[in-house]
Amino acid sequence: MPGSIRPVSVVWVVLVCLLFCSRLLSVGAAPICTNAQAGCHALSLANLFDRVIQHSARMHGISNDLHSEFEQYFLPSKNQIGRVSRNCHTSTIFTPNGKENAQRMARQELTEVILKLLVAWRDPLWHFHQSIAHHHDFNNFSANKALEMSDMVHELRKGVEKVAEKMQMMGIISNSVSSLASPEALLPSDSAEWRLMKDYDLLYCFRRDSNKVQNYLKILKCRIVPEHGC
Amino acid sequence: MAVFSSSSSSSSSSSSSSSSTSNLLLLLLVSSLDWLSTRGSVFVMDHMTSSAPVGPHFTECISREQETFRCWWSPGGFHNLSFPGALRVFYLKKDSPNSEWKECPEYSHLKRECFFDVNHTSVWIPYCMQLRGQNNVTYLDEDYCFTVENIVRPDPPVSLNWTLLNISPSGLSYDVMVNWEPPPSADVGAGWMRIEYEIQYTERNTTNWEALEMQPHTQQTIYGLQIGKEYEVHIRCRMQAFVKFGEFSDSVFIQVTEIPSQDSNFPFKLALIFGVLGILILILLIGISQQPRLMMILLPPVPAPKIKGIDPELLKKGKLDELNFILSGGGMGGLSTYAPDFYQDEPWVEFIEVDAEDADAAEKEENQGSDTQRLLDPPQPVSHHMNTGCANAVSFPDDDSGRASCYDPDLHDQDTLMLMATLLPGQPEDGEDSFDVVERAPVIERSERPLVQTQTGGPQTWLNTDFYAQVSNVMPSGGVVLSPGQQLRFQESTSAAEDEAQKKGKGSEDSEEKTQKELQFQLLVVDPEGSGYTTESNARQISTPPNTPMPGSGYQTIHPQPVETKPAATAENNQSPYILPDSPQSQFFAPVADYTVVQEVDSQHSLLLNPPPRQSPPPCLPHHPTKALAAMPVGYVTPDLLGNLSP
Repeated sequence: MPGSIRPVSVVWVVLVCLLFCSRLLSVGAAPICTNAQAGCHALSLANLFDRVIQHSARMHGISNDLHSEFEQYFLPSKNQIGRVSRNCHTSTIFTPNGKENAQRMARQELTEVILKLLVAWRDPLWHFHQSIAHHHDFNNFSANKALEMSDMVHELRKGVEKVAEKMQMMGIISNSVSSLASPEALLPSDSAEWRLMKDYDLLYCFRRDSNKVQNYLKILKCRIVPEHGC
Repeated sequence: MAVFSSSSSSSSSSSSSSSSTSNLLLLLLVSSLDWLSTRGSVFVMDHMTSSAPVGPHFTECISREQETFRCWWSPGGFHNLSFPGALRVFYLKKDSPNSEWKECPEYSHLKRECFFDVNHTSVWIPYCMQLRGQNNVTYLDEDYCFTVENIVRPDPPVSLNWTLLNISPSGLSYDVMVNWEPPPSADVGAGWMRIEYEIQYTERNTTNWEALEMQPHTQQTIYGLQIGKEYEVHIRCRMQAFVKFGEFSDSVFIQVTEIPSQDSNFPFKLALIFGVLGILILILLIGISQQPRLMMILLPPVPAPKIKGIDPELLKKGKLDELNFILSGGGMGGLSTYAPDFYQDEPWVEFIEVDAEDADAAEKEENQGSDTQRLLDPPQPVSHHMNTGCANAVSFPDDDSGRASCYDPDLHDQDTLMLMATLLPGQPEDGEDSFDVVERAPVIERSERPLVQTQTGGPQTWLNTDFYAQVSNVMPSGGVVLSPGQQLRFQESTSAAEDEAQKKGKGSEDSEEKTQKELQFQLLVVDPEGSGYTTESNARQISTPPNTPMPGSGYQTIHPQPVETKPAATAENNQSPYILPDSPQSQFFAPVADYTVVQEVDSQHSLLLNPPPRQSPPPCLPHHPTKALAAMPVGYVTPDLLGNLSP
């Protein structure tokens, strides 16, 4: 009797597995939905943009908080900004410095700029967090913020990449964005420059760059999908 | 400083002691340096201000929309530099490593302002400003450096107005929705600036401003404002994640006075007052007029137990014994017709009369049982109720309710009752009951004492009687002679003879012999109306002995026996004669027919009836005078045959 039951049970299990697996596969079979497909539950571009913009705003807020903490901590003076003699390592990345310049820039270029910035700050922030965590001068609150900040940069980059993909699918931007394929190519050649920067300068630079990212994303959104919140 | 303290505490909690102490010392040194530097800067500034006049300096640089910015300077204490053109502004834009100082692109010497337009403004690029004199002398130790996004102070929002959201149920506080427009200079639509707003409000003429939470939307609700007070509201804004606020907008005043919803309540109150007044007036009118009809319509009588003749006080709770006593006939007989009228002032009171007879009457009623008995019973002598045999009687008003077991009230008349009773050829009761009654009949001269009472002793005899009796003769006295039922004649023949003898003996008027057994007829004299057909003379004639032929008359009237005349006489005296339903003794009566034809009425106003046809065999006819009757047509009695009839 058990001998006859065993193959039956095996067959039964296989059948069940096939059923469930087919279901799972069917769900995962359509990773990206185009507009032409019906019954797709993918997010809209505006929704994606909103999420990304919120993310960047939060990131900028954290960087601002950290920077103000550092300003209080490290001998603040009235013209602190004057002491920043060296440029940030991301100064080589060409970024529009004004509204008109940003609006005049092509969407594709703007997206590339955003991605470049985000990619450029991945390593420095990680090291910054490491230095803060090991440095006993900082409390845990600052260390946590630094960690959060580095994670956010990482997540934001992924989000922007998704937005870029969707835009490429929708035909808003061309498919010739090479930065999406290999993010490491975006890094400047002298990538080790940031290691020479002090923590405060890093924070200062990152605060500025996070503001840039936030601005560029908003401009991009209001240019492409200006329905809500523009 | 909080960072320091917390870090020092965390550091103190570390395990290593020597490192902790060195770190602590370092921290203390750093903190002291920090404090000293702050104090020193202040001291320096104070010294500068106090010791020497303050040199030319920039007061502030502001950008309104992150596209342009302005810088203002002041000569300070150097009044010789206050004239226009004495000081010049130079800026350094660090967008490239080899940048150089440039002069202000646009001066406004009146305001001592340097304006940088769009072409000269770059965001995220550090700017450093310098004030130089005529001879390129810089007056500042440090440059005034900034980036444009950090000096942005947006313009105040515009179009600030408010709308009333709701008012609390208590009517003391209300909520207000305030909305505005972003400053037109800030390009929010393009996403270039992300602004968050802050609203502040206070009571008018006070400076206790209360700030609401900052939020990026262009509307906000203010809760809990009090009615009657005037509030002042203004708003300002700043860039998100930045520090510097813009200027406050112009104030808007909010004031909500009394709730205007009183109008809806007002007619309601008025209607209520009018309604109450109207009802009061109505009640007064009704009370004053006291119209019984109106009272009856508006205040109909409450049905309560009201028994005629019984004091309503007794009908109240707790007086059951008295009520029972009255109802059972105690005392004067509570429910008599002469009972006092307790409900005189309530003309609409209807009574349902309870036929609460006496106990005897009740018993008699029970004894009589069926309606037949009651029908045939004479009125009771003991009680003088009118409702004999009637279970219920309804007094005024007279409707037909409750009289199912009752016959026509018109027959309440005693005479009619007696008439009905005498019409029946009933038998006298056994024994002397009838005699007694007969005796009493002449004695009692009350019209209400009929001879019908002879039947009181034996109701059973009535069961054997016929309802219908044949009128045999009508006496001159006005009585009607009935022929008794044929069934009973033979039964009563013997007893009738005895009765006859007794009656003769007891007769007071006559001295007739009792031996007269030849009773031809038992005449039943009935005078229903009391107005007989005969006069007294006739009655006396009737009272003559039967053997005495009627003077001057070939007819022989069938007159009752002297005994019977007594009752006849008495009957004559009385309004209503008495009935003696006796059966004839002789068998001569047997052949008396039930129906007799009235042949003639003689001068004495007596009906001459034909003798009934003889039922004896015809051969016997010649013997009996009655046989002659056979030759006659049935039902006719000729006068000459009348004599034959008598034995």
